[in-house]
Amino acid sequence: MNGTPLLTTHDLRREFGGVKALDGVSLSVAAGERRAIIGPNGAGKTTLFNILTGELDPTSGSVALAGEDVTRRAPHELARRGVARMYQRNELFEPLAAAENVLLAVGAARGPYRPFTSPQPDDRAAARELLARVGIAERADVAARSLSHGERRQLELALALAQRPRLLLLDEPTAGMSPAETARITSLIAALDRSLTVVIVEHDMDVVFRLADRISVLHEGRVLADGTPAEVRGDRTVNEVYLGKVVA
Amino acid sequence: MTVEVAIQQALNGISFGALLFILAAGLSLIFGMMDVINLAHGAFYMLGAYIALAAVQRTGNFWLALVLAPLLVGALGLIIEPLLLRRLRGRHLDQVLLTIGISLVIVDLVGLVAGREIRSIPFPAGLDRSVPIIGGDYPVYRLFVIAFGILLAALFAFIHRRSRLGALIRAGVDDAPMLAALGVDIDRVFATTFAAGAALAAIAGVIAAPVFGVFPGMDVDALIYSLIVVVVGGLGTLSGAIAGGALVGPADTFGKVLFPQFALALIFAIVAFVLLLRPTGLLGRVRIAR
Amino acid sequence: MRRGALIAGAAVAALALVTFPVWTSEWESSRYATTVLRDMLVLAILALSLDLLVGSAGLPSLGHAAFFGAGAYAAAVTMARLGSDELLVGLGAAIVASALLSLVIGLFAVRAAGIFFLMLTLAFAQMVFAVAFQATELTGGSNGLPGVRRPRLLGLDFNAPDALFELVATTFVVVVLLLWRIRTSAYGLALVGVRENERRMRALGYDATRLKLSAFVLAGAIAGVAGALSGWSLRFVSTNDVGIGRSIEAFVSVLIGGTATLLGPAIGAVVVLYVERVLPSSIPFAETVLGLLFIAFVVAARQGIVGVARAAYARARPAPARAS
Repeated sequence: MNGTPLLTTHDLRREFGGVKALDGVSLSVAAGERRAIIGPNGAGKTTLFNILTGELDPTSGSVALAGEDVTRRAPHELARRGVARMYQRNELFEPLAAAENVLLAVGAARGPYRPFTSPQPDDRAAARELLARVGIAERADVAARSLSHGERRQLELALALAQRPRLLLLDEPTAGMSPAETARITSLIAALDRSLTVVIVEHDMDVVFRLADRISVLHEGRVLADGTPAEVRGDRTVNEVYLGKVVA
Repeated sequence: MTVEVAIQQALNGISFGALLFILAAGLSLIFGMMDVINLAHGAFYMLGAYIALAAVQRTGNFWLALVLAPLLVGALGLIIEPLLLRRLRGRHLDQVLLTIGISLVIVDLVGLVAGREIRSIPFPAGLDRSVPIIGGDYPVYRLFVIAFGILLAALFAFIHRRSRLGALIRAGVDDAPMLAALGVDIDRVFATTFAAGAALAAIAGVIAAPVFGVFPGMDVDALIYSLIVVVVGGLGTLSGAIAGGALVGPADTFGKVLFPQFALALIFAIVAFVLLLRPTGLLGRVRIAR
Repeated sequence: MRRGALIAGAAVAALALVTFPVWTSEWESSRYATTVLRDMLVLAILALSLDLLVGSAGLPSLGHAAFFGAGAYAAAVTMARLGSDELLVGLGAAIVASALLSLVIGLFAVRAAGIFFLMLTLAFAQMVFAVAFQATELTGGSNGLPGVRRPRLLGLDFNAPDALFELVATTFVVVVLLLWRIRTSAYGLALVGVRENERRMRALGYDATRLKLSAFVLAGAIAGVAGALSGWSLRFVSTNDVGIGRSIEAFVSVLIGGTATLLGPAIGAVVVLYVERVLPSSIPFAETVLGLLFIAFVVAARQGIVGVARAAYARARPAPARAS
């Protein structure tokens, strides 16, 4: 991996009326790295993601993307800078076909102010290709709301990938999936090119240990530990707080 | 403007504000409990006024009208909610659209039955005098309106704070689904709320009739004003309706006196401004609405 | 249906529509049907423009008449003040006025959503109404502007009822084509995306606010064109054109006909105007009928006439589950 960090956060804090969701989170993710963020519920993981995608402003602290300060940028500006997110609870275009869902994602780069031009054939082809890549090619013309849960997750991933991001934020990608579906998605993510940096929030530790280069443990809004899987597994505080008794 | 005129206008403003509060209370109540903007509110107001007109013409008794109109209009609300609105439970926007349809029907029927001339109700006996106030004689009726508004506000405050009904309403405003989950008959609550809101609109119609008259198109005026008050003061709260009335009443009165050309536009500018900065109004509750 | 047949059918229908006064001249010498149809088409254009907001972008506007009225006043006043009969002058003034107004209002309105958006548009429209009411030298106040001159274009004079009808009908066809093009474009798809999941659109990189604003202005401009046509048709512009009644008329048309469909709003406009214009000769409670009809659709047939027709068609010939 290159040494230049793609994503850095510096002392991120976020309060909600007295509740400290984030209490000084500083992270550094290198380009091409696979970083897992784990922690119990309420640790601040979703808040962190919301700040990284611009949907929330931090109370204090900063976020930098490839050196550029993007702390209070709007979501669409971050998306334009290569940040893509796979939401924990699917954010799809329910009545639209899967292919149209991805088409919207693909078309974003072109800019939508062409009221008299149909979507480009290139874009349509790219959309189909992405659907094939995540494994739901044959469901291309099915409305998003009619897909199975696993297929919806796959579509959700396709939307994020369609943006051709350099930073991919995966929010519990395997939530609610069967073992087979989990295995498939994990393989997909593992096979992603290293030009893409991936930050993944997960509860499924098997997935975490399979995919992650480094793990950051979040607890009560702070980074409890930060290191390679082996280091984290052996960290006493992490064991006490989160992992339960794991053989060091 | 002389001091005497200023005091007169101030009283006018407060009196108008009190009326606006009475008018807006019903709208605010329905929105607070049901998340529905009842666009038939003006129609209920109009219906109340026309019922009062008929009652006064037949019996000469204003007070009878003041009791009869809200009873009848409230009953209508008690029919409409379960019959129509309940089918759209959860579809707030569609419920708002439904109230538009209701408004069209009520307004047309009223016009058909009662004709399209401008009518008015005479001041009730006893309140048709003027009393000397600093600056000249002032109509007693307008003072009555102020008193009525204060009384109503006090009544609401009492119910709100002290009674079980008030607790129910407060809980419903915060979390209606939870209330349902706790076993409260939410259907009954909603129907009663809608009926109460309609009745309040009717009361406002009766009270306003001697001052503003009874005529086609009064529903639009009333609706617009009640929307203004509710939006400015705060959506869904009692104090919001009071605050809105207290602000808009005098502002409108003085606006019309000082710069009549732009008074209306000014009021709306205030509305838009408030909506932009605080979509829930000055004293409104934060809602996670969509 | 075969695509070629569809296009041919549509072309024939359009032609029949535009030449309506010609082939009905025998049994329609009073021109009553022509006049009613003309007004239906004007309302249809307004409703179609409103559906760009309601149906495509998911923005329920109850103040759309503001732009209709702005266009009507602008066309009438500009042509009168400049002493010009030129069609393009009138249309140009209408479009500029309504687009500018919708830009100003839109800048505020699109920041809200759902019911709040509805109230904002209502408030702003009432503001415009109040201004129109007060600015008597410009707008004639509550008396309105009578004696609006009909335009001409090069050699064509639109004073005659038939000619004016053809102008209105042609504009209607053009607007339908325009909106069809928009709906099938990438922009149209983006609007639907904003309607269905604005959060996701922003996350994908779309400036959702700007998208909504552009739709708002586009819809406002088309409404302005309808307004100009209305002024020329009735030879009269008044605060009615800007009032809440007109906004509701348009909204009712959209809903009854079928929101988010190509021709639904037009069909709805036909129904609404039929009830308002033709029915009163038989019964005195036309508005009540309209209100009841509206209620019925909101409660039982939310997808409107077109939606109901589609559902019936789908039931008649079963097909595998496809996207809507």
